Amino acid sequence: MVGIIRERWPGRATFIFAAIGSAIGLGNIWRFPYMTYDNGGAAFLIAWIIGLIVIGVPWMMMEFGMGRYFQRSAPGVFEGIGKKWEWVGWWPVFMAFLIVTYYTVILAWVLRYIISSATVAWGVGASGAAGAGDFFFGNILQISEGPTALGSLVWPTVIALALTWIAIYLIVFKGAKVIGKVSVWVVSLAWVFLLILVIRGLTLPGVTQGLNFYLDPNLSALGDVTVWFAAFSQIAFTLSLGMAGMFAYGSFIAKKADVTNSAFITSFSNCATSFFAGFAVFSVVGFIMQAMNIPVGDVSASGLGLAFITFPVGVSMMPGANAFIGVIFFLSLFFLGLSSAYFLAYGGVISPIMDKFGLSRVKSTAIVCVIAFLIGLLYCTQGGLYWLDQVDRMACFYGLLITGVLATVVVGWRFGAGKLRENLNETSDIKVGAWWDWLIKLIVPAALLFVVIQGGFMKDIAAPYEGYSTAWIIWALLGATLILSFVFQAVKTKGPKGGE
Amino acid sequence: MTTGAIITLIAMCVVFIGALGFCFSRLGKGGEWED
Repeated sequence: MVGIIRERWPGRATFIFAAIGSAIGLGNIWRFPYMTYDNGGAAFLIAWIIGLIVIGVPWMMMEFGMGRYFQRSAPGVFEGIGKKWEWVGWWPVFMAFLIVTYYTVILAWVLRYIISSATVAWGVGASGAAGAGDFFFGNILQISEGPTALGSLVWPTVIALALTWIAIYLIVFKGAKVIGKVSVWVVSLAWVFLLILVIRGLTLPGVTQGLNFYLDPNLSALGDVTVWFAAFSQIAFTLSLGMAGMFAYGSFIAKKADVTNSAFITSFSNCATSFFAGFAVFSVVGFIMQAMNIPVGDVSASGLGLAFITFPVGVSMMPGANAFIGVIFFLSLFFLGLSSAYFLAYGGVISPIMDKFGLSRVKSTAIVCVIAFLIGLLYCTQGGLYWLDQVDRMACFYGLLITGVLATVVVGWRFGAGKLRENLNETSDIKVGAWWDWLIKLIVPAALLFVVIQGGFMKDIAAPYEGYSTAWIIWALLGATLILSFVFQAVKTKGPKGGE
Repeated sequence: MTTGAIITLIAMCVVFIGALGFCFSRLGKGGEWED
């Protein structure tokens, strides 16, 4: 199968931390808690746990397992199944690349907020709270009227983006060994910061009100298809699957090492982090509701609005330690996001390029970091947020889900789910039964198709995404990356089998 | 907190602690980490 020694994780713990670091990200804080609140609390959590077990864990086992089996990153895995399938591995590589170009810009904003939080630059008290939105859109983004008005580069963001890419380069240019060791620190610190935020949040007035909104059960919501859609989509997006990187991370596992238990630990740790982060978010939401005497519907509790407006409002209104909590919150966001960013860069893009073109790690890393930084400058313009939103819709929604469907179908039906299961069971701590085959062959692709049709095509074909006049870019990029995947497939593989 | 919210909290803690506890109890029962 392979003739050259593949790079290896320095130990099991470092692999687990690297995998958890890749899975946990900004969405654990700014997507999950709000979706729980918005979809019936406990009802959503039941659907989410079911989704985790029948979609997330099997999908992760498949990506780790195939990477380990072929000892190659995603394109090499599908090339191993059959040359004509290599494009199935390249398509998510392009998605990972596009995602990391804008994900790092969000980290650049976070980096700027770490500095701004040290002085609570948007202001303390009621006036600061009222100005938090203007600070984000006016000072940080200097936002223009629309996507066609790009305006000029926002230089503080450009500098922060450059620093982010330098950090990513330094972490990944020596490969899995350093990534694993850095991940232990990054993930541990992110958890410590979250713990501080939860403790502070639970001591704020209004916390009970917020937590009731977060956790109050509405079990009748289980009969609502939108709740299942929300739960499945959250599982699809939260584990960093469908982005090529987990194949590469799996390829760095020794051929006789466990896969299934590592997939369980990674998935459940990621979801436990999400659940825990909800306490930090909704305690602050409850506090803002009480401090400003507004209903929960008036508090933006998800996405950019939560991170860059709602939480700063909470920081302004806190009775003490405002700057400290602000810095800790943005540090936690930065660390959670950084581990996902270097995962996307290395596992998603650099490792496949090394495998395909036989380039050295240092050269591949430098090329990817520089090109991604240059593309990221688009999102550093005054109109950058609009483009970020559209590319995110293309890559992190359509790209992730469609390539996930393709990968599970090709592995399940062409390579053989049963064959992979037998390979996994030979060395794994937890054996999986024949039921797993049908999850990979039918349930996972069907669930992902359900999400992409229900939440994507049904909406975006009826009307342009978010009303953007430039929403055609979503379909254009999907088509262009698909064509590029076939082009890369046609290029002769120069890298040695094993990728070193 | 409401009774429902407290029950949800306890149930989720049981799920996560139970699942991760089971996984960690199985560590090392399968293959070898080194080549």
